[in-house]
Amino acid sequence: MNRDGAAKISCKGPKESLVRIGEPPVYWKSAEELQNGARPLGEFPGGLPGNSPSQQTEDTRRDFLAMMGFTFAAAGLAGCRAPVQNAVPLLTGSDEIVPGVSNFYATTCGGCPSACSLLVKQRDGRPIKIEGNDRSSLFGGTCATGQATVLSLYDGERLHGPLWKGQPVQWPVIDGQVRDALRAADKDKRPIVLLSGTITSPSTLHIIGEWKKRYPSFRHVVYDAVSLSAMRAANAASFGRAAIPHYLFDKARMIVGLEADFLGTWLSPVEFARQYASSRKPEGNFSTHVQFESGFSVTGSNADIRVPVAPSEMGAVALALLRRIGRYAGVTDVPDSTESFADSKKLDAIAEALWRHRGESLIVSGVQDLSVQMAVNALNSWLGNIGKTVDLARPSYQRAGDDAAMAELVEQMNRGEIHTLLLHGVNPAYDYAEPERFTQGLEKVALSISFSDRRDETSSRAHAICPDHHFLESWGDAEPVDSHFSLAQPLIAPLFNTRATAENLLAWLGIESGHHTFLRSFWRENIFPRQNERPDFESFWDRSLQDGVVVVPQKTAAPPVNAFHGDWKTAAHAIVNEPGRADDRYQLHFYESVALRDGRHANNPWLQELPDPISKVTWGNYAAVSPKLARKLGLSEGDVVSLKTEKGQMQIPVFLQPGQHEKSISVALGYGRKQVGKAGQDVGANAFPLRRQSTVNVTLEKTGRTVKLASTQRHFYMEGRPIILESTLKQVRMESAAAESGEALPSLWPEYPQGEHSWGLGIDLTACIGCSACVIACQAENNIPVVGKDQVQRIRAMHWIRVDRYYTGPEDCPASVHQPMMCQHCGHAPCETVCPVHATTTSSEGINQQVYNRCIGTRYCANNCPYKVRRFNWYNYTENAKFDFNMNSPLGRMVLNPDVVVRSRGVMEKCNLCVQRIQLAKNLALQGKRTLADGDIKTACQQACPTQAIVFGDLKDAHSRVAQLHRSQRQYKVLEELGTRPNVAYLKKIRNTTET
Amino acid sequence: MDLAGGGLKALLMGRRFLVVAVLALGLGGLLAGWELSRVGVHQGYAPAQPIAFPHKVHAGDNKIPCLYCHYAARTSRHAGIPPASVCMNCHTLLEKQTVEIEKLKEAVQEQRPIKWIKVHNLPDFVYFNHSQHVLSGVACQRCHGAVEQMDRVQQMSPLTMGWCLECHREHAHIATADFQRVMQDMTHRPVPVAGLDCTSCHY
Repeated sequence: MNRDGAAKISCKGPKESLVRIGEPPVYWKSAEELQNGARPLGEFPGGLPGNSPSQQTEDTRRDFLAMMGFTFAAAGLAGCRAPVQNAVPLLTGSDEIVPGVSNFYATTCGGCPSACSLLVKQRDGRPIKIEGNDRSSLFGGTCATGQATVLSLYDGERLHGPLWKGQPVQWPVIDGQVRDALRAADKDKRPIVLLSGTITSPSTLHIIGEWKKRYPSFRHVVYDAVSLSAMRAANAASFGRAAIPHYLFDKARMIVGLEADFLGTWLSPVEFARQYASSRKPEGNFSTHVQFESGFSVTGSNADIRVPVAPSEMGAVALALLRRIGRYAGVTDVPDSTESFADSKKLDAIAEALWRHRGESLIVSGVQDLSVQMAVNALNSWLGNIGKTVDLARPSYQRAGDDAAMAELVEQMNRGEIHTLLLHGVNPAYDYAEPERFTQGLEKVALSISFSDRRDETSSRAHAICPDHHFLESWGDAEPVDSHFSLAQPLIAPLFNTRATAENLLAWLGIESGHHTFLRSFWRENIFPRQNERPDFESFWDRSLQDGVVVVPQKTAAPPVNAFHGDWKTAAHAIVNEPGRADDRYQLHFYESVALRDGRHANNPWLQELPDPISKVTWGNYAAVSPKLARKLGLSEGDVVSLKTEKGQMQIPVFLQPGQHEKSISVALGYGRKQVGKAGQDVGANAFPLRRQSTVNVTLEKTGRTVKLASTQRHFYMEGRPIILESTLKQVRMESAAAESGEALPSLWPEYPQGEHSWGLGIDLTACIGCSACVIACQAENNIPVVGKDQVQRIRAMHWIRVDRYYTGPEDCPASVHQPMMCQHCGHAPCETVCPVHATTTSSEGINQQVYNRCIGTRYCANNCPYKVRRFNWYNYTENAKFDFNMNSPLGRMVLNPDVVVRSRGVMEKCNLCVQRIQLAKNLALQGKRTLADGDIKTACQQACPTQAIVFGDLKDAHSRVAQLHRSQRQYKVLEELGTRPNVAYLKKIRNTTET
Repeated sequence: MDLAGGGLKALLMGRRFLVVAVLALGLGGLLAGWELSRVGVHQGYAPAQPIAFPHKVHAGDNKIPCLYCHYAARTSRHAGIPPASVCMNCHTLLEKQTVEIEKLKEAVQEQRPIKWIKVHNLPDFVYFNHSQHVLSGVACQRCHGAVEQMDRVQQMSPLTMGWCLECHREHAHIATADFQRVMQDMTHRPVPVAGLDCTSCHY
């Protein structure tokens, strides 16, 4: 293998698979591995999977015999008579619910304000799986968080009914109290405030409008924990419209990101991921993506060129580009500024490419700074992108937070001016930059009512909690992007005595007709007249409800978007003169983690156990530092450091992150919740209180303590063998027909009998962005247990699909590749030959099948699997108090898929290509008297993937998409030289380095 | 003592005793093996139901088709016990009254679901789909026996894997040759094939 990390095309043949022990590998998973080289098996830190010490070592042989004797006796007795099983049919049959048949209903995700359109699988009256809605013109697939929201429905920490001053009461009591308070506030003209997160629902916004009419002293303040208010302000100053534009990454040939994780967490990641992947097809158009960022984000990991930049230098980056683009556009008075962050030739090349693709380029920035946003607006307008890739005429309503209004409200609260405060979808006592200031203010409010679904940091301080429904229990609608509507319908009757917030707002206005009636009349009056496809409302409503999505023509009276008239000069000077850059200190960079986002999902154990797409750390956050800085300060992974800023300090373990900017320290928000529930309580540390509007300088001190991070980084280590292949766009285009024809290696094993189909997967490494939605989708579909931090540390995480992230290139700025890895369904599987009981065999349709009831748990198969995809049940993870997650409570077990067995202790499990979905599709074909068509079956991972990187299908059908992928010029099989003949093909990762 | 001890010893050493002992042990082993192989097999299980519903009267004497009540068997993995509303389709019109019919009407009036006792139970690790079998033309009686002659339903078949496979092997016609495939395409109908793969039933 070549050592410079440059692209390498063909790595076939046994010679390539040899790794010299101790040499730095081309692809590596951690800073440590790059330093120490590939390690032989025995030296693997932490031991091999399965060799970790057991939790209970004190058990003796005698105990074992005693237990065995008891088991025999118990089995003999229990086996004689099965327990009586009841079958309780409905009293009155339903047309829609047939026991054992799943229905799918369209709805809208409530996991974050991006409001993706969903299809939810409902089985026997309960929602069990979330899927993307393909009928949506905006979205497709889901994100990991969206996938996991179904588990939050069955969260035992949710309140069972309303509370008044901490005591359970009935709804009429609350209604009476609130109406009295509102009347009193109205009489004295004292402010009534609704403090909410971004509301994308047009009907709810309409109700809020009604409140304004009814109570003159009422106002609505929108607060997002991670807001884009600087961008709104910049757009108001630049274009006369305070809005978030709708970005069109699919129309961009040149993308530049400034600290905007648009594929991971920023604004609308599912939508952007879909657009992004569609404009990056090696066989068609392929955009170039440059990312400037301080921490290593999912977006940065996909960039063709990634430039690590300190947080304080983001303005300088924008200015450097502005100066160059200005030269092209004939503007010469852009002030000079430092360009120490990158070599100026590189910047020239980026600017040149931007200019060449003017009108087809896009610059986005997630920096919460008015000047930077203003510079970005100037860039986009000078490049002619406004109206092309930046659509302000049809803006996005996905983030509406207003930081200034929030700050003003907190001040008013502290002055004791606010009479009634309604809190919806917010938790400022946890995530506000000055939590004490907020809680002090809250005490001075005459009546505070929270709509939170649980006792959290904020709601526990409020006078009343009126728990909201989970979004799967409620009616609703959303308008994520102007004129793109999405409906939401309940999938289950409310589990608890909760009430939808919209219903409360209506009731307290005196409208008793209920939310559903209101929603329908709102749609009848406001949405229905804007379309002309359906003549009558009933059919329009039914159709919209079935599809879940409606796109209508824009309102004719939409406010105009002016040409750019922003004062970029002042912004540029503000950037040049920005104070607060201390060279001797480090800069803190805060980001939302892909799993937990702003912390609202902290009690979801699936998300807590989801490895971060880049660091692969689970169950907690960390301070990401560059390996160089760690060496300088003598830090190693897990050392707890104290981060001190002007605002306070926090203690957090260190993680060595290759590609991290040397001067910056990245900390994920959303951790360290104090009141959320048993899964999320005190996991990690809360970084919100250290946030500030401007750059946060920080000093770093060792505390002497060390903790072990639960990282899956080096789990299932593949010994540095060539499992990632990549190439550049140029090379792919040149190669064309000269594709190598991989001849099948001779085999000693007999051919298996072949059935009608041969199932396989094709995975495009170019499309995969590493977002990990597939991991949670697989977990939900296949009843995969959560094992907890301790077990993850012992390399016992149970995910059937993992997304391996490999680095390549220099440590301070590596490129990376994401590779989803699951059972490869080998034609000649090494696991099968070592199983003494034939518990794993190849099916006639090419699936490597794992038969749980035959498995005796020797784990030979896992040892012999070169892909390390087999997972062993070390414990019973259901109904086991030691694993007190969702599968330990009857409520949490409601999420389980009844078509997949829950595995017990002592058996091996792994990906089975969602065989339950294959069987179901076959059955549906039989019912419909037709043959299976390509696309009838989608595996859970494929369905969830927003970039369509995973394709499942029949390899025997030459026209199927998967068969085409298997014939692609870019295809290769992982470790093919072992003769395993996998049914999973990967398509080489392509980078576009041509442009720059 | 000596005599007695010698006698006992002689008896124990005697060839006849040895033969008897070996036979007894062998027989005992066989019996134990048989018994063990029947652990978890509930052939003949016929629990008393909360309402003594006679299939003989309904499916036998009155010839109501199985799928009229067990309609879910066409589309679902579960054949399903019919909702009480299905019973009432006829029983609101029929004049005949018995103690058992009274129980049904009471349950409907009180809105109290009936807790039937499941007769045919499969272990959790087996996936069985009724619709797949019904649509493939397997008669209900093939597995359930002559239910139309039963007053109280009992489990007729052993429901063991070997028993399933007997039938599956018989019908495991997999189109392997080109000719068979072409024929299959021409008919535009999938030929029901009984799977022999482990994942046909275990996942």
